[in-house]
Amino acid sequence: MSELKAEQELVEDVKKQLGDKIVDTKIQRAKRVYIRVKAGDHRDVIKYLKEKWDAYHVSTITGVDLGENIELLYHLFAYRGNVTVTVRTEVPKSDPKIQTIVDIIPGATLYEREVHDLLGVVFEGHPELERLILPDDWPEGVYPLRKEYKLEVEEVEEVKEEGEA
Amino acid sequence: MSEERMFRIPVGPQHPALKEPINFTFIVDGERVVDVKPRIGYNHRGIEKLMESKTYIQGLYLIERICGICSAAHQGCYAQNIEEAAGIEAPPRGVYLRTLIWELERIHSHLLWVGVAYHEIGFDTLFMYVWRDRERVMDILEMISGNRVNYAMNTIGGVRRDVTPEIVDNALKALDYLEERTKYYKKVTEEDDSILARTVNVGILKTEDAKRLCAVGPTARASGLKVDVRRDDPYGAYDELDFDVVVYDTCDLTARVLVRIDEVLESIKMCRQILQNLPSGPVRVKFKRKVPEGESISKVEAPRGEDLHYVKANGTEKPERYKVRAPTLANIPSVCEMLKGGYIADIPIVFAGIDPCIACTDRMLFIDVNTERKWMWTEEELRMYARKWYKKHLKEVVRERWKC
Repeated sequence: MSELKAEQELVEDVKKQLGDKIVDTKIQRAKRVYIRVKAGDHRDVIKYLKEKWDAYHVSTITGVDLGENIELLYHLFAYRGNVTVTVRTEVPKSDPKIQTIVDIIPGATLYEREVHDLLGVVFEGHPELERLILPDDWPEGVYPLRKEYKLEVEEVEEVKEEGEA
Repeated sequence: MSEERMFRIPVGPQHPALKEPINFTFIVDGERVVDVKPRIGYNHRGIEKLMESKTYIQGLYLIERICGICSAAHQGCYAQNIEEAAGIEAPPRGVYLRTLIWELERIHSHLLWVGVAYHEIGFDTLFMYVWRDRERVMDILEMISGNRVNYAMNTIGGVRRDVTPEIVDNALKALDYLEERTKYYKKVTEEDDSILARTVNVGILKTEDAKRLCAVGPTARASGLKVDVRRDDPYGAYDELDFDVVVYDTCDLTARVLVRIDEVLESIKMCRQILQNLPSGPVRVKFKRKVPEGESISKVEAPRGEDLHYVKANGTEKPERYKVRAPTLANIPSVCEMLKGGYIADIPIVFAGIDPCIACTDRMLFIDVNTERKWMWTEEELRMYARKWYKKHLKEVVRERWKC
């Protein structure tokens, strides 16, 4: 498939250069590449993509609660080849720590703080990992985007019933 | 003239573009800003969490309410994301109409911003003219969708309404008028001394800084970065349209105004192409409420820059996780960089320069590094301070900036 040329070239290059660090790769469609790595190796892969594939732009970092683990997806854009590359890795929910990428891509600073606020992932080496989104009086250790945090939907329904009465 | 007698044009306090809450701490040395620390979240509504308890169809209307100005950008991004995850494809006419709404929205958003920018520098006459003309594009949007904002045009599988030949004729006429007016505003921006005095070499964001801080949209393009999702990662009907990516390399506020004005002209060009080449056929296909397990990333170029949505589906009617990164968050580090080293009096216009969408300077805390004195200003107080300060210092500042 000639239309996926840039995508295949990127995946093969990354595998060749950083083979032992790559757990899995996926070309979902044109311009959508996913690379799975172990936590800790993400820095080397992102650094390599930035240097060799012009992936200096990180669009955002998505955190997903998988139950046991928290998955982090670093959505990068490789301007060489124009491909959206997502580097994904997992950290255990019991000890969610991972090294920062702010020194590699300074534009990631607010995204790491956002994930820190909402999912409780600690980015080691981040220059100011302070609260960004949650209110100052939000209780410590409560992370709203984790699955155990339930929305209080029932309360809303009660109000509605009262209004009708 | 005493302050009571000054003419005030109220924009807000419930202004959709600028009067949303954000907090900055400015560290200043005399008139100069030394450092800036942002604090956001005053308007955080937990939409990502709420999305997990809504069906995909309900999500359409929640996602649209992320923003009042770029609602179609978010909703269209969401719709194409869910379409990809569900493995359905919108018919060509639906895709063209979706793209039309995106571009009309860009015209109204950029014109709104240009008006606000003139207002921030105290040129309220021009602000009124621009907003009057912006009504024409609002009329087109209302004619097509029934709404001035939050058009609710998109649905998963296409769009909800079709256009008639009369609508196309009327829209083309309105576009001619808008093109003529926009060209006039470009001329004024390039030639008027009072605009240039406040924008040339103000709020510099160097190309390497824009790159380093991952700036997006017109903010990046005004700093010489040729990035545009419409060109780099084409979606909708953009790969079939003929348009230029507008780039300016002066890295200042003049560039930020001109990028947006030129983009309005590009958008008018695109709208004409769409209206004149609308494919025939249906505008939507059916969507079967459930999305199989999987994931998808969708990106659009919203008026303020790259907007990214990520969905993780689990086979039910509701998403497992929905992530949104709106463009303003991406530009916050850049605006902090622009403000550093500038005058306090330039804060309103420099901050407006990124076209902030979660933004308001209502709660600003100033700390003087020499005296450690702290004080608070509202945005209106700061704007008035800026005008008075410039009245007094205009000549020396212009001489210094233009080196003449």
